[in-house]
Amino acid sequence: MRPWQKALMYILIVVILAYFMFPLYVLFLYAFTNPHYTFFRSYPYLYPVRLTLKNLLEAAAPSLSGPAIKSLVVATLVGLITLALALPTAYGLSKINPLISYMVIVLLFITNLMPSIVIAIPIASTFVRLGLYNSDIGLALAQTLITLPMAAFILLGTFQSIPPELEWQARIDGASLLKAFYKVLMPLAAPSIAAVYMLSWLFSWDEFTFAVLLSPISPTLPVEIYISVDRGNLLAALALSFVLTIPAIVLVVLMQRYLRAEYLAGGLKG
Amino acid sequence: MRLQRVSLTTLLIIPALAYVAALVIYPAAYAVVHSFIGPNGRFTLANYEALVPLGLKLAIITTLVVSFGAIFFQLLIALAVASVIAKLTRARSTLMTLVIIPMGVATVVSAVLFSFIFQYPGGIANEIMRSIGLAPVYWLNPKHLPIVYMSLIIADSWKTTPIMILILYAGMLRIPQELYESAAIDGAGPLRRFARITVPNLRSFIGISLLIRGVSEFNIFALPLILVGYNPPFLTTLTYELYSSAITVNESYASATILLALAAILIAIVYRVQGGRR
Repeated sequence: MRPWQKALMYILIVVILAYFMFPLYVLFLYAFTNPHYTFFRSYPYLYPVRLTLKNLLEAAAPSLSGPAIKSLVVATLVGLITLALALPTAYGLSKINPLISYMVIVLLFITNLMPSIVIAIPIASTFVRLGLYNSDIGLALAQTLITLPMAAFILLGTFQSIPPELEWQARIDGASLLKAFYKVLMPLAAPSIAAVYMLSWLFSWDEFTFAVLLSPISPTLPVEIYISVDRGNLLAALALSFVLTIPAIVLVVLMQRYLRAEYLAGGLKG
Repeated sequence: MRLQRVSLTTLLIIPALAYVAALVIYPAAYAVVHSFIGPNGRFTLANYEALVPLGLKLAIITTLVVSFGAIFFQLLIALAVASVIAKLTRARSTLMTLVIIPMGVATVVSAVLFSFIFQYPGGIANEIMRSIGLAPVYWLNPKHLPIVYMSLIIADSWKTTPIMILILYAGMLRIPQELYESAAIDGAGPLRRFARITVPNLRSFIGISLLIRGVSEFNIFALPLILVGYNPPFLTTLTYELYSSAITVNESYASATILLALAAILIAIVYRVQGGRR
């Protein structure tokens, strides 16, 4: 590379990092700075002055525990329901004609392209009738729509990569289908199963559209952030945003290997 | 034995298919059908006509302009970032990790952060403008749509560009290095190599990323809801506003059906363009 090309590269890298890191810097700056120096000022300081923990401790506390527990419970349920649906599906698909199993996966991804808000409103009125409106399980059932295709796709790839002889051997030795699945396939697929669980958990943790339409009265953290903004309580919105973001960043860094486009297709909608 | 196995595997797949039918296909069909039904239970177009004075036209324009603007903007950034990362000799994975972190940040949070950045009066963007000697800008002024659209595109792309970077980067790694070497020997400069080798070889990856991002882009909801409220309206925020305020929920189904139709048209276009190439 010529020197000017090298210089251009460095400039580009700085610009790229500035765009992708700056909003996170804003999150940390505003979360730990007295708001009189940031968003209460007409011209905020862009560097830390008078660091404080007061924002997080005082603003988040009153509205944190209910939504945080709700978010934790729903995300855990989404992980479990996703596995309960995706494990048998992926196992079944790994045993049939690859062309048909490919078509089923494509079908799942196409349904995932459906705008959440279009289906969330009819689902809400059905849930009211069924008593699932505002419930943890109802919201988890809806959010699993986003995670199921990705989960089935990852697990199908995993099951296809396990030599079928291992399972046959177990069956010949007298294991039942369920036992062979449980004793032979599950341990080999454990890393993928863990990844699917954590990715599903993350999608649910961040999800907003289904949450605001299906559980507005007992909100999750993202919905509580929206409610705070709507009431003009920006400090609470900021503090809750900080709480919501820390686990999400940790999971993204941990799960980087699995964050591949073909897995995520519809999973990152706004 | 064979028959038994076929039926067993089918049985295993049925729960997931039934689940998708119950929670996607049935509600979508329900929304579309009820968008044509009036309070008396008969067929009507009144739900659609009622949308016109509520800003339907602006909602469609806003949805289309911001969606296409955003995917174009994201494509440009993603091409640049993926090329830079692919050229690096060290620190590739560190840079990639930093760049994809916004993927994990909830849309609601990115909206809150950009509401601080695009605050007016004051705000972070204006503080930066001031420090370089420029006049402050009312970024989200509903009376000045081009600036609002631009601000929304920048805010949205922060979280959504990383997935495009991942797709295009995966594509770039598949381009044989010999192509670049022989082009360099023939005297082609970096820009020419990018236009003649990188872009043509990435075509299918660009298509996939446009499909994935394009359809999700039509669905942006939390970001405009928090940054601009209902003004200007998007089809999603209009649907939500109608759902939470209108006398009849069927008007929100009409707005939802238009959104669904736009998404379906986009999928068909991308499918045609992609299919034509194969």
